[in-house]
Amino acid sequence: MSGTGRIVIEGVGVVGGFGGGAHDLSRALTGSACSPGTLELSTGSGPVTIPAFRADVSRLEEFLPARTLRRIDHFSRLGLLGSHLALADAELPEAERPRLGIVIASGYGATGSTYAFLKSFISDGDIGASPTSFSSSVHNAAAAHISIQLGAKGPNLTVSDVHLSVPSALATARIWLAEGRVQRVLFGAVDELSELIGYIRHRTRDASPAGPMTPLRTEMETSIPGEGAAFLLLARESASRGGYCTLDASTTGSLPIPGLPFPEPGLLVLGADGCRESGRRYATVARNARVACYTPLYGSMPAGPAFDLAAAALILKGGRVYPSPGGGFLDFPATVPVGGEPVGADRVSCLTLAVDEAYGLTTLGRVEPQ
Amino acid sequence: MRPTVQQMSVAPIAITGMGCICAAGRNLPDSMEALLRGERHPAPPVRFASDHPVRYPVFEAADFEEPPDLLRTSAFGLHAAREAVADAGLDRKALGALRVGVCVGTTVGTVVSEETFCRGYLAGHVPDMTPIRRILRSNPADVIAREFGLSGPRQAVVTACASGTDAVGIAGSWIRAGLCDAAIAGGADELGRITYIGFISLMITDDSPCKPFDQHRKGLNLGEGAAMLVLASERALRRTGMRARSFLLGYGSAGDAYHMTAPQPDGAGLRSAISEAMATGGVSSASVAFVNAHGTGTPDNDRVESRVLHDMLPGIPFLSTKGYTGHTLGAAGAIEAVFTAACLEMGNIPANAGFETPDPVIGLTPVREVTAVSGTVALSESLAFGGNNSVVVLGKA
Repeated sequence: MSGTGRIVIEGVGVVGGFGGGAHDLSRALTGSACSPGTLELSTGSGPVTIPAFRADVSRLEEFLPARTLRRIDHFSRLGLLGSHLALADAELPEAERPRLGIVIASGYGATGSTYAFLKSFISDGDIGASPTSFSSSVHNAAAAHISIQLGAKGPNLTVSDVHLSVPSALATARIWLAEGRVQRVLFGAVDELSELIGYIRHRTRDASPAGPMTPLRTEMETSIPGEGAAFLLLARESASRGGYCTLDASTTGSLPIPGLPFPEPGLLVLGADGCRESGRRYATVARNARVACYTPLYGSMPAGPAFDLAAAALILKGGRVYPSPGGGFLDFPATVPVGGEPVGADRVSCLTLAVDEAYGLTTLGRVEPQ
Repeated sequence: MRPTVQQMSVAPIAITGMGCICAAGRNLPDSMEALLRGERHPAPPVRFASDHPVRYPVFEAADFEEPPDLLRTSAFGLHAAREAVADAGLDRKALGALRVGVCVGTTVGTVVSEETFCRGYLAGHVPDMTPIRRILRSNPADVIAREFGLSGPRQAVVTACASGTDAVGIAGSWIRAGLCDAAIAGGADELGRITYIGFISLMITDDSPCKPFDQHRKGLNLGEGAAMLVLASERALRRTGMRARSFLLGYGSAGDAYHMTAPQPDGAGLRSAISEAMATGGVSSASVAFVNAHGTGTPDNDRVESRVLHDMLPGIPFLSTKGYTGHTLGAAGAIEAVFTAACLEMGNIPANAGFETPDPVIGLTPVREVTAVSGTVALSESLAFGGNNSVVVLGKA
């Protein structure tokens, strides 16, 4: 296969609780108010309302006719909106779409349709099972709809590794580009906050606070669930027309991370999501590093690390660090920039920690001036 | 416009061990013997019940050791991985000296749903969380990595029925890219009520034993199981003394961009996947001994697949092994890859079980009896929901 070469992030497409598009994410990162909405749950002890970052996909009608969307569920709509926003951001000519490779990461997949399918036969008997819900429930449904709507006929992959889905899938996307299988990969992460996932979170996590997420406070649970899609259009440098930054590395493995401690004055974007237990792990691994954390803008979800990457891409393009929202940094054993400072390095890394000492680390680099 | 494919071959990757569990047998040698004897035992499910008025036959695997804290899917994967690792002559110590990745295709092994839990929730109860916790710690790639203490990359590939083929191809790329020295790659899937009822709802299941490529085929029979391959770099071979049983020569995949559940009528995506797999494998159609087709027994799949085989690989023997295993979904590509490699070793391919009457629309006939093959290269194909098409090219050692 052909030589490796560098990989450029040409476009960013994001949709989450903060809004839709790179502009909305940039606005949220600079300090605009970003409050969670709510999710209503039925529980054995009555209805419960929990805070949640929900994503509005109504902008999808800017890209696709309503008729086309009729039988497409929320999970796939999130993916479709994120992918169209990324392509629009990159101003990719339509003629390039058939040659795109697609790589999607999802921690939980189409849980809304999965639950709808179960409800259909639990309510109506096995003969009443819904074929539409069943076919929409497959993990690669979003990738399929994106491929169909874009006419993208390149290789098409969906990966599901819970909290490490993003760095894991990204590593394979990089290989496709390095091998020369494709010139561009539309990479994205999608997770929906369905009723089922909301209830499971409600049962498995401590009660969420009324206040904001403070993921760098390690003594309390402040996690708020989120949903959304974050897409990056990746291109081999030789085919690229420029973009936000380069994608230099993406690895997964078991702790310790080779090369620790992280070098100053680089920046490490942490995927800490307000879960008390994981917050402690981040505090240990990122000790003495220069860190930022933006999860309070989009919430806790397996697709979160792709939003971290989108934020890192905006940082490298703009040259300045955004403030980490949520406060509570004083006890965190690392340097947390107040925001507005120069990046101070050519690279920004994004760290994700999962259970079993597993980690994912992705490094982005500054694009050299033309 | 079809995607461009760089016409450049890649380095072969050694396959040093293989393992398999499915309805045909609890391990690869037993499964191959059953295939060559022409044995198959589809029957209505015994592990679960359904109130559907029609009892569709399935291919359930025989009993095996299932740890109670794991999903059956992951237990299948672990069972096949143990056989593959032993077949490669490795143990935990030898694996610990290498950076070993795990890449597993599945359709249900990462799905957060469980019927009892959902019934309890819908009824307004407080359902027991044990099934959900079991799912969350049962990612099949993680389970195998934990079992053998592996430190390399892990990935669960969820490209529906192409997952197992993709997992093998991706693991090969990892090794070539230097992400790991070796990899345990394959696929695993269990058969349960949700899958059974779901496929019945799509009206693509046969109420009699499946008949891939036959004129009177009515659909697929579901199956379950797993297969794993140990893939190794040259460096890993040198360090461990492992020997290649066969080789992963090439891999290709392409999307139809056509329909959620139906294949593109002209098979353009499958054509691209075959072209890429053969180009990366550096092989021409003249060197292909046989094709292990996807061959589900659904009218659409078999029509499209045979059309592509007729155009691209004319005259080359082909078969579907799903008549012996059922459609094992995310495991299918891996099970069929190990069958393909084993057939290359033996120089024989089994009959296409269930085939009796040629279909004039198809115009091709799969092998009808155990057939000797003399070539050194074979293809294994997978087509999937979502329009995924994936192909691996395997070579004899």
